[in-house]
Parts: sequence; structure tokens; C-alpha cells
Amino acid sequence: MNHHSRPIAIVCAILVGFGGGAHAFVNEAISMAFEAATPYVEQGFEVREDNWSGEVEPGKPLLIRHQLFRGNEYWFWAGTSWPGATIKVDIFDNEGNSVGLESFAKGSFAGVRSLPQKTATYFIRVVATYEKTGKALTAAERGANDPVAGVGEFPGVLDWGLVYGYR
Amino acid sequence: MSQPLPAVFRHLIVALVFRAMLPGLGMAQEGGVPSSPERINLTNFPGELVDKVVVPIPAEIFAVLDKLDEPDWNSGIQLPAAMDRGGERSLLALTFGSLVAEGFIAVQAKNAGEIESIGKRVLDLSESLGLASSVRPHSLAIIEASKNRDWAKVRDELDATQQTVRTTMEKLRDDELSGLVSLGGWLRGTNVVTSFISGSYSEDKAELLNQPGLIAHFREMIASMRGPAASMPAIRGIATGLARLEAIITEPGNLSEEDINQLRDISRDLLEEFYFAKSAS
Repeated sequence: MNHHSRPIAIVCAILVGFGGGAHAFVNEAISMAFEAATPYVEQGFEVREDNWSGEVEPGKPLLIRHQLFRGNEYWFWAGTSWPGATIKVDIFDNEGNSVGLESFAKGSFAGVRSLPQKTATYFIRVVATYEKTGKALTAAERGANDPVAGVGEFPGVLDWGLVYGYR
Repeated sequence: MSQPLPAVFRHLIVALVFRAMLPGLGMAQEGGVPSSPERINLTNFPGELVDKVVVPIPAEIFAVLDKLDEPDWNSGIQLPAAMDRGGERSLLALTFGSLVAEGFIAVQAKNAGEIESIGKRVLDLSESLGLASSVRPHSLAIIEASKNRDWAKVRDELDATQQTVRTTMEKLRDDELSGLVSLGGWLRGTNVVTSFISGSYSEDKAELLNQPGLIAHFREMIASMRGPAASMPAIRGIATGLARLEAIITEPGNLSEEDINQLRDISRDLLEEFYFAKSAS
């Protein structure tokens, strides 16, 4: 997807998602991760098209291996599309030491920045969580609407997507 | 008692709140916060290791090389004459990856003429792979962006071209071919990087070749190939060459100038299996 069309695509995806009640699409999670990356393109980060995605049980950490080069600066951005779910992303070197210099985790989006001290394989940890309380409850679960079979029910897994950029 | 908001406004508010949560985009704009130092146990990780390997594009390494030196990228462009691959899809996939890498070299050189030639060759090759309809928009965008000297856009489209081809292959359950596209790109990128480093060696530059994880990935990929392609001389030659590359890179200590020269020569040998014409020797 063209980077310029991503903001429009993601807003449409959110609107369609909330209107239709179908949320757990992996592509939507990737779109959200790309959306988190969009502001950084203006800072000179080149965002890769290739990415990681899938579905995971809430709270189960995922570990992703990736080759980084000393001399580049990296941001990794993660997203999940299930309403009320949250996501976190961290980065570690091959000895398990955290090497994130800066990070944010705001609901469905998260990011971490790193300046690798050596060219090597690094490990990115993604954790998506979902607690069915308070704001995490869907409208149907709160009783705002009559529940419709299969609509708005938590499927037991969360979608997730991870993208990265370098400069 | 307040009336519920109409659905369209609820949706709009939710969308705006989502945007506001993004740094740099909305009202709740905030800088990042420092991560708390933490250690994890990689040998006993309490979760799931994701199998997928994302292979860095050559431009990622080129970006570092540009910070360390001023390579003459024009001298690195070596677009070979089109060769008849006899419709062998494995070789076409490898060649496709190398051609895209050639495009990344031409972008570093800011050579619009070469980028245009490469864009056309990419499209020709995609026709042989039966993927022209997916590639054509990218190919045209590459040529257009190079005319406008929008180099970031050219890089973006080259990456998108490769990703489109790989995704299409994976949808057709042809993961082998998809992996070969990545391998072709990695080999061409490695070859040009080692050529430059061997011309003006430094340990900082040589460290860029410290990629044992990627070589292991490619070796596993070739070893897992099935069908007639697996026994082709070119593929067997690549398997042997990757083992030679791995032996050099996994040696303890820094990569020496001699190591870099060997990596350059081996990667050239591997490219001569499908991309460059074989040298007279």
C-alpha cells in the first residue's frame, strides 16, 4: 500500500470495523502499525513494506528476530485492531538486554526506537493484551445494544502487526 | 437524560481519538519516554518465537556505507544483458531479486537513466513470471519517480515491487520462489557492498557483513526446497556457496580484509549461477 494512502485506509478500516462489528483482521493490525509509522516518514525514516503479523492469545509474548546494522537508527511500530486491546513493543540484543532508547504504548499502537551498537541479530518482543473490563467491553457486552450472535464477541485471539523503518 | 449520539458521530469520535493517541498526529501529541532497562531470557523465552524472517533490503546497508564513506555508486551498477532462463522459475525469481537490488544501487548513484532501464527489465521479468499486472504500476512509478529525482520514492517503490511479487507468490503457495527473490536481492547487495569495502577496507565497514542469522536462514531455505528445482546445478551451487559464506562470517573475531575479498568473490560466483555471465576463468 502506498504510504500516502495509509492514513485514509486506516480511518476507513476503523469506521468499517466499528460499524460492521468485524474486527480481527490481521491486515487491519498491519495498517494500524503503518499508521503509527506515518509521522516518522517526515523525519526521514524509510518504512519497509515487508512486515510481521498474525494472531496471538492475549498476554502471550511474541519474539521476532531481525538483523540490524550499526550506523542506522530504527523504529519498530506495532498495532492491534481489537477494540480495547493494548499492545507493547520492546527490543533486545542477542544477550537479552533491552536496547530501546525511546518507546510509546498507547492503546492499540506502540513503538520503540533503537540505535544498534553493533551489527547483529536483535529480538523484538510484542505483547498484545486484552482485559474484558471497563472500556475494553464492546457496546454489546455493555448492554448498549442487543447482542447479535457472533458479532462483537471476543474470538480468543488478538491480531497483531509489526513494521519497521530506518534512517 | 442525554440522548445517544448518532452512530456516524460515534464512529468519527472514535477515529479521532485513535488518531489523537498517535505521537505527532493529534491533540494528545507527546514525545516518547525512555524505556526501562530490562533483561529477558532468550534461551527460555516464555512465549512464541515468530518464524518469519524479514530480509533487510540492500538500501539499509547502503545507507550505513554512505555514512562511513563516499562510494562511487555508479561504478557499482552492473546491469547484465538479458539472458534466456528457459522459463525456469527458480532462476527467474533469483534474477528478479538481484534486478531490484541493482535498482537500489542505481538509486544510491542517483542515476535516473539506469533506474529507467532497470524498471523496464523488472517489468519484462515479471511478465516471464506471469506477474506483470501486479508489477506494472510499481515499474511505472519507479520510472516516474526517477525522472522527478524523488529517490526516497524510488526506494519505496522498489521495496513495494519486491514485496508485491513475494506476496503474490506466497498467495499462490509458492513460498520457495518468494524466498529466492529475497536471496537474489541479498546476494547482489552483498556483492556490491563487499566490492566497495575491499576497495577501502575498515573494520567499521566490514562489520556490516556480520549477518550469520540471515545466511543460516537462506541455507535452511535452500535445504528445504523440494521438486526439480532443488536438484538444479545452479541451486546446488548456491547451497555450496552459502556454506562457504557462512564459514567465513561465523568465524570468531572481526572480518579481515582477506575475509571481505573472499565474501566478494564467493558472492560473485553465486551471482554467476543466474545473474551475471560466467567469467572466463
